[in-house]
Amino acid sequence: MSKKSGEQIPGRTDYKWIGKSIPRHEDARLLTGRGTFVDDLNIPNVHHAAILRSPHAHARISKIDLSRALNLKGVIGSITGADVLERTRPFSVVATSPMQYYCMATDKVRFVGEPVAAIVARDRYLAEDALDLIDVEYETLPAIVDPEKAVESAAPILHEEVPNNIACHRVLSYGDVDAAFDQADFVLRERLVFPRYTSMPLETFAIISSYDHFGGGLTLWSNFMGPFIMHPITARALNIAENKLRFIVPPDIGGSFGIKTSIYPYLTLLGLLSMQVDVPVKWIEDRREHLLASSVQTDRVSYREVAVTKNGMVLGFRTKLYDNVGAYLRTPEPATTFRPIGNVVGPYRVKNLQIDANVVVTNKCPTGPNRAYGCAHLYFEQERLMDKVAEKLKLDPAEVRLRNFIQPDEFPYTTPTGGIYDSGDYPKAFQLALKTFDYEAMRKQQKTARTDGRLFGIGIATGVDPSVSNMGYLTVALDAEVRQHPDYLPKSGAAETATIKIDPLGQVTVGLSSTPQGQGHETIVAQIVAEELELSPDDVTVIDEFDTAKSIWSISSGTYSSRFASVGTSAVANAAKTLRGKIFRIAAHLLKVNVEDVVFEDRRFYGRETPTQSIKLSHVAGTAHWNPNDLPEGMEVGLNVTETFSFPLAHAPDQKDRVNSSNTYGFMADLMAVEIDPDTGKVKILKYASVHDAGTIIHPKILEGQIYGGAMHGIAGALFEQQIYDDEGQCLTATLVDYECPFATEAPKIDIAHIESPSPFTTLGSKGAGESSSETAPACVANAVADALSPLGVNVTELPLTPNRCWELLQSARGQTT
Amino acid sequence: MKLQAEHVFQVSRDVLWQVLHDQTRMADWIPGCDKLEEIGPDRFAATMKIGVGAIKGTYKGTVQVTEKQEPSQYTLAVEGNAAPGFVRGKALMKLQVEDGNATRLVIDADVQVGGLIASVGQRFVSGIAKQLTRELLANIEQSLKPETTA
Repeated sequence: MSKKSGEQIPGRTDYKWIGKSIPRHEDARLLTGRGTFVDDLNIPNVHHAAILRSPHAHARISKIDLSRALNLKGVIGSITGADVLERTRPFSVVATSPMQYYCMATDKVRFVGEPVAAIVARDRYLAEDALDLIDVEYETLPAIVDPEKAVESAAPILHEEVPNNIACHRVLSYGDVDAAFDQADFVLRERLVFPRYTSMPLETFAIISSYDHFGGGLTLWSNFMGPFIMHPITARALNIAENKLRFIVPPDIGGSFGIKTSIYPYLTLLGLLSMQVDVPVKWIEDRREHLLASSVQTDRVSYREVAVTKNGMVLGFRTKLYDNVGAYLRTPEPATTFRPIGNVVGPYRVKNLQIDANVVVTNKCPTGPNRAYGCAHLYFEQERLMDKVAEKLKLDPAEVRLRNFIQPDEFPYTTPTGGIYDSGDYPKAFQLALKTFDYEAMRKQQKTARTDGRLFGIGIATGVDPSVSNMGYLTVALDAEVRQHPDYLPKSGAAETATIKIDPLGQVTVGLSSTPQGQGHETIVAQIVAEELELSPDDVTVIDEFDTAKSIWSISSGTYSSRFASVGTSAVANAAKTLRGKIFRIAAHLLKVNVEDVVFEDRRFYGRETPTQSIKLSHVAGTAHWNPNDLPEGMEVGLNVTETFSFPLAHAPDQKDRVNSSNTYGFMADLMAVEIDPDTGKVKILKYASVHDAGTIIHPKILEGQIYGGAMHGIAGALFEQQIYDDEGQCLTATLVDYECPFATEAPKIDIAHIESPSPFTTLGSKGAGESSSETAPACVANAVADALSPLGVNVTELPLTPNRCWELLQSARGQTT
Repeated sequence: MKLQAEHVFQVSRDVLWQVLHDQTRMADWIPGCDKLEEIGPDRFAATMKIGVGAIKGTYKGTVQVTEKQEPSQYTLAVEGNAAPGFVRGKALMKLQVEDGNATRLVIDADVQVGGLIASVGQRFVSGIAKQLTRELLANIEQSLKPETTA
């Protein structure tokens, strides 16, 4: 059950639609199978592509012979690395040691599943059959998959231009970390390992490509989700002008959770294919391709040490990271490393820190955004160490957190790394979490359980939830001197645009370019516009289809980084307010009253003093379209408003590498009780409570859905899922038999509660919450399992905590080797 | 993947050695081997048909005999590529004298698979490998029988 408490926006407690769980406008079409996805689009004369992929983790391609494949009847064309080398450019890479990354292997293959050739045929069956007729000779090379071993001098080198396989190395220092460690009463250290797990949308990558040889350019229909910075990157890779490259996204995308950001190498590959064969080409990625070679979350080994006083105050920390981005550093990586830079201290008042970041390439699938992008890693490290502090001082882990929280009177709070936390009340939200979980009672229950010999543990994890990434944060990956060069264009900003129009009969249409993947934007926009225009959400039609040629968009457009609830809603609310001003001014003019005296009720306008003389909304709208002579002097004809909202504090990083990496910062606190089966090692979640502060809540049910989804994504990574490679770089988890996803039966009930600290930087006070507990659930599970095992003296330093791993931990405690 | 097998053949070590190195008969006992063609000293081009679960393929590759210490041991290296991926294996073959004019063949192999077989058929691979080893031993046994007319 969801509860709601806390304050409303000052001055606005009278919302009619905002804050209500109205039925979702998208559901009827989606639940009856009538959505429009890429695969539903009918493009005349479409042909089908299949991609030949490397079976080797690391090898030189010595020969490719396509003659047998091209002789197959129905096959009309192909591309190989030679075509890619001739006709495309490598993708832009943000790193201290960038490498050449193309949409297909050109000289060497560097991971199993890397595209080696592609075939276009009459149908997919034929295209797949033709792949079997391609003869490739490889000269195999030794492979490396471990990020710590990859940086050793004897390790095989993936890219000649990347010494020691370190694509990016930065040492970032904030405050006075040495002094913090000198002043500390004690220092705690851990080596922690965070695994690779993925997003697993129901719909895999899907692309249709069509090239007009008569100057019309290239059109790519796909389920791309943004950020649309990938549009200029793709145009550059394909050597075509940006206005000759058209990205179209249909109304429905079957989930993404981050992974579809990384579709653009395939957009490039399909673009080149259709340019080559001169017919439209379609490719729907199969599940094995998706698990093997689309994208996945970066795995990390981290060494973290914290400087702590005897009162449990954390003075500072040092962390050395080995982020394994796989075979190529693919933009927006190394964002796993740098996206959380502004919120790297989490909800705590830590002032001094140092990050030694090593972004390492190995013979694994390249990585990219996955829900909680970088923050699940961060809070796993931070929250494991907070529990270690509690353990060392024999304090309650809840108490240690309360002592270190940023206080409510400190907002807006500037973090040492440049983040500007907009609003919040962490102690209050945390206390609500303790209450929702019934913490005292659960600790008593644990005591009893332990007396009975049960492995019962309680975990806590808190985190600051960043949303709407600042387009500039990634440039922290570059040395500050590089960013100061006169030719360097600084990057910053976070904007979104909305268009609202009222037609001549008074009906409202909203145009968005947000590429949602199931988040219910149509519903939320209808709510906001209905609120501002004093209409019903059913009066508002929302068209959410993206077309770079027609939509108004920016490089930061798209639905990622939990941005819609902050930046999208602000653009919509501002546009609606502007449009409201315009129709009220027309009504005042027609009614011959002051605009402040205009009242709107039941689709009619009247003057406050003259309620009997009213005019219909359709009359006011009709005047704007059909009778401009009756408009107020100087007013523009028509009722169309396009408004762009841009965050004021999304600056480029400064010379000291400080950056406000996101634009709103929510908060979450997760508490969990688990029990471990001593015979099988299986972890069972007994109770889970989750409290969130996402500012003003627009649609409680959609928010609850995001929290459930985020929490399950985190639990999946903590207990079930992992992309596994053997030492030779063979991926062992390329089917859903081997890559274990949790089912609904594994989903615990979650007791969800909220506080609302409105953001002063967004129009409605709302903040993003799309990632939420995906950031903290892995840490919470780890802490709960560690607590359960603590009587045995076993430490938890690595996820996922599958039955196998827990059983091994139990065996080690029992003094037996496995 | 490491693989071990052994079997006692009721022939002398010299006879077993001869059979295992008879180029005209090697194709008979290498499981799935269709064709074997000498391309160098102790080096052969081979075509092998092997199925791992539903993933069947015709593997083209090489078979090579190295580190020969007649008549007690040698190394057999097999490498094959096909549409479903690749198979690479190296086996140390030891021939040990047993009582009563018998010979124990001890096989110590390390097998690697890649591509579709590794990613889809991983959980079948060890079962298939064991089955192929059984087939191999049975085939050798068959080769040792005096030539009979069908």
